[in-house]
Amino acid sequence: MDQKKLMEPLKLAGKLIMENGGETYRVEETVCRMGKAFGLREVESFAVPSGVFVSFQCEDGSIQTSVLRVHRGETNLSCVNEVNEVSREVEAGKLDWQGAWDALKAIEQEADPAPQGIRILASGICAAGFAVMFGGGRLDALLAAAAGMLVQAMNALMERQHLHGLSALLFGSFLATLIPHCARSLYAGFLVEAVAAGALMPMLPGLAMTNAVSDTLRGDMVSGMSHFSQAVLTAGLVAGGALAAATVFRMAGGII
Amino acid sequence: MLRELLIIFLSSFAGTLGFAVLLRAPRRTWIPASLVGALAFSVYWSLNAAGLSEVTSIFCGSMLGSLLGQLLARGMKTIATVFNTLAIVAFVPGLGLYRCMELFARGEMEAGARAGIGAMMSIVMIALGIGVGTFLFRAVFVRHRA
Repeated sequence: MDQKKLMEPLKLAGKLIMENGGETYRVEETVCRMGKAFGLREVESFAVPSGVFVSFQCEDGSIQTSVLRVHRGETNLSCVNEVNEVSREVEAGKLDWQGAWDALKAIEQEADPAPQGIRILASGICAAGFAVMFGGGRLDALLAAAAGMLVQAMNALMERQHLHGLSALLFGSFLATLIPHCARSLYAGFLVEAVAAGALMPMLPGLAMTNAVSDTLRGDMVSGMSHFSQAVLTAGLVAGGALAAATVFRMAGGII
Repeated sequence: MLRELLIIFLSSFAGTLGFAVLLRAPRRTWIPASLVGALAFSVYWSLNAAGLSEVTSIFCGSMLGSLLGQLLARGMKTIATVFNTLAIVAFVPGLGLYRCMELFARGEMEAGARAGIGAMMSIVMIALGIGVGTFLFRAVFVRHRA
């Protein structure tokens, strides 16, 4: 059998994990585990958040190396979990390379496990929960839920216009901050801070910051620095959106 | 106190559940992972309310979340990332980061820096809690198997 073919499932497994928010060490472990199970020698993998390198030695002694550029998308833990399951099955000898390739292609083409409607609802639940955790009451929770759902719905609309990403983040934080300010000018009982922080929570880079610290503590400096830069950029954009909303509100005399 | 604890448990459960969907965790893990997140956050809140410092409480809560998460991940044959991530989302200092950004935006640099450092300390404690939880889990599991 042509061993060069074995590069494809290894690359696809690494790409799927990295694209969907998996850790760099998981990419490296999965690729090496699958490669060894395929009977390859000297399997090596090096992953950074923007790319995956895979290398192994063929039976004739030649070295096969492949570099893959990865564009990170939204986090999809289901996908990462499924790829991990495939690699375990390969390791256990339940799947050969063709079976692994088919399974990975099926995962790649799988529909989103959380359709947009469910994600909008989840944003609302999430924002309401965090608003209460931050000291808000029932009304604050309701307002945060509405703001969270609206932000997610706007995100979906912007995604359709291919404006997803940084601009969506900026606009989302603008909206999430403006809504509680406006609501407070109508009813003074709203706790702006709790509502805004609750609605902003899905956008805040706290998780990316935590991953950056975890990666750095594990010794993955490149990945740690990359996550940290991403977190700082995200925080800057969220801050920009929130600042713009507060400024617009003040300029309008606090009555919009 | 009990009523407040119940409110904290339910609200952190809702927050974690929302994140479980947004991060597209496997559906069968939504409820157990949200329970772990809510339990870990409730422990943090109780310790903090009992007088323990903020950072120590966060460390204890995230360590417990990491331990429970990894136990469940093993039981449910899922990657630990799913449970580890969802166990700590409630600890992420969203309010601290928001305050930091707002204070900077208002030009109150000193107060903003203080809020930012506080948030950063929480983040480091979360990461340490996960690290120690993972280490303890592996140590106990390896000893158990040996």
